[in-house]
Amino acid sequence: MISFSNVSKLYSEDGAALRSVTLKIPTGDFVSIVGQSGAGKSTLLKLLSAEERPSEGSIIIDGWDITQIKKWQVPYLRRQVGVIFQDFKLLPKRTAFENVAFAMEVGGAKTKEIRDSVPQILKLVNLLEKAEMYPNEMSGGERQRVSIARALAYKPQILLADEPTGNLDALHSWDIVQLLIKINKLGTTVLLATHNDDVVNALKKRVVTLSKGQVVSDQEAGTYKL
Amino acid sequence: MTMIKTSSWRILRNALQNFQRNIWLSLATTIIMTLTLIMTSFLYFLNVLGSEVLNTIEEKVDLSATFKDDIAEDQISIIAEDIRSRADVQEARVVTSEQALEDFRARHADDPFIEESLRELEKNPLPSTLFIIAADPRQYQTIASELETERYEPFIESVNFENSRTVIERLIAVMSGVRNIGLVTTVVLASLVIMIMFNTIRLAIYSFREEIDIMRLVGASNWFIRGPFIIEAVMVALLSVIVSTFVLYPVLETINPEVQRFFFSGQAEPFSIYSYALSHWTTVIGLEALLAVGLAVFSSLVAIRRYLR
Repeated sequence: MISFSNVSKLYSEDGAALRSVTLKIPTGDFVSIVGQSGAGKSTLLKLLSAEERPSEGSIIIDGWDITQIKKWQVPYLRRQVGVIFQDFKLLPKRTAFENVAFAMEVGGAKTKEIRDSVPQILKLVNLLEKAEMYPNEMSGGERQRVSIARALAYKPQILLADEPTGNLDALHSWDIVQLLIKINKLGTTVLLATHNDDVVNALKKRVVTLSKGQVVSDQEAGTYKL
Repeated sequence: MTMIKTSSWRILRNALQNFQRNIWLSLATTIIMTLTLIMTSFLYFLNVLGSEVLNTIEEKVDLSATFKDDIAEDQISIIAEDIRSRADVQEARVVTSEQALEDFRARHADDPFIEESLRELEKNPLPSTLFIIAADPRQYQTIASELETERYEPFIESVNFENSRTVIERLIAVMSGVRNIGLVTTVVLASLVIMIMFNTIRLAIYSFREEIDIMRLVGASNWFIRGPFIIEAVMVALLSVIVSTFVLYPVLETINPEVQRFFFSGQAEPFSIYSYALSHWTTVIGLEALLAVGLAVFSSLVAIRRYLR
């Protein structure tokens, strides 16, 4: 369970990215967060990975108040919260396999564990046969799948997807969304920030709409509306 | 435990990779670091040499009496024995005129002009001398006065005292001057090292910023990110210690005869700066390593800090 209570994030006196957001997301949920650019979608996700700290309010993940988190605890939080981005953030000089292995190495996984797990994860995202390819030899959709594989390396409880289809065409976008659904079905809570209305409407899952930093609508099996 | 072992190995491997990927920067840093170490070591040896020279001079002659030309050796021995028997005299050593000439020749063996001049002189120009070391430096004045009494007047030409005092004082002044210049040079070089190390690591971090970004994203601890850069800096430091040692010792070996001739000529066992460096190798290399690693770790920690908020 993720719960936001009265969370605000102020970047300056007059510019608030989030205002008094209160939100509960049960474990295993799939939530789309929609809204125009600057509505606060990315900020909401960054608060969950402790990239940003809220100015007010508290955020609790499974009983862990991450607004009180110590600096040294941040890496541990990040291993439980996978993140994927619009621009993939892959290491260009490493193959798909190495990109995923890198994340596991960082977390101190044993070499044998890495050798065993990485192919499984790549198989999950349907990229096993491209394991030895470099990011620039892959399509956008494939790169995003590598980045999802990397986010899954720690078997996180939560997956944050910040505009994952922003750089992809409709076909590849749908491919990625299918993959997110699959990951969600395996038990991971997925938060998808997007302004792709086709994707949101086809999902028929919970939709939280943000506008100017506030939650303006929260519907089960909702649609994209602004 | 295994996790720490695995992580340590990965940090080490990343450090080696960093060093290799930024090979030219790493080499430049190593060279500057090596220069600093060599400078500092020479300063160190200069200090050692200085105090050794001071010791020798202090010990050497504080009081000497030159005999008149025509005094027989027997007479000289009697006077020497006489002086030696005094309670306030620790040692009284006679250098006969023949011995003095021999020493003088040996010291200027490679100077044909001096050899020539000596040959032209029919008589040995050097007097026999009695060198006296007092049991206590404060007693020199008393001994000197004794030698100047009528009793010794027929034999002794002159009593030389106090000359070395001024030499010692002058030497101390020169030494501290040299030491200050050396210290300033070392400080300047050390700050250069810090600045260059600092920038090297910043450049390295800049070229790794994507990786660092992603490492943070996937939950790398700060030590996992910081470790390779610090280890790389330590590797540069240790490499510099090795290089400077390989430069320093041959140089010391080469200049040692010159130094000995200049400062310690005429001694039976002249102080050898090279042997000193050899027998004190742990101190020399230890101090170098301490300085180098200290500089390296300090500058890398400062350089990295801002990338790990």
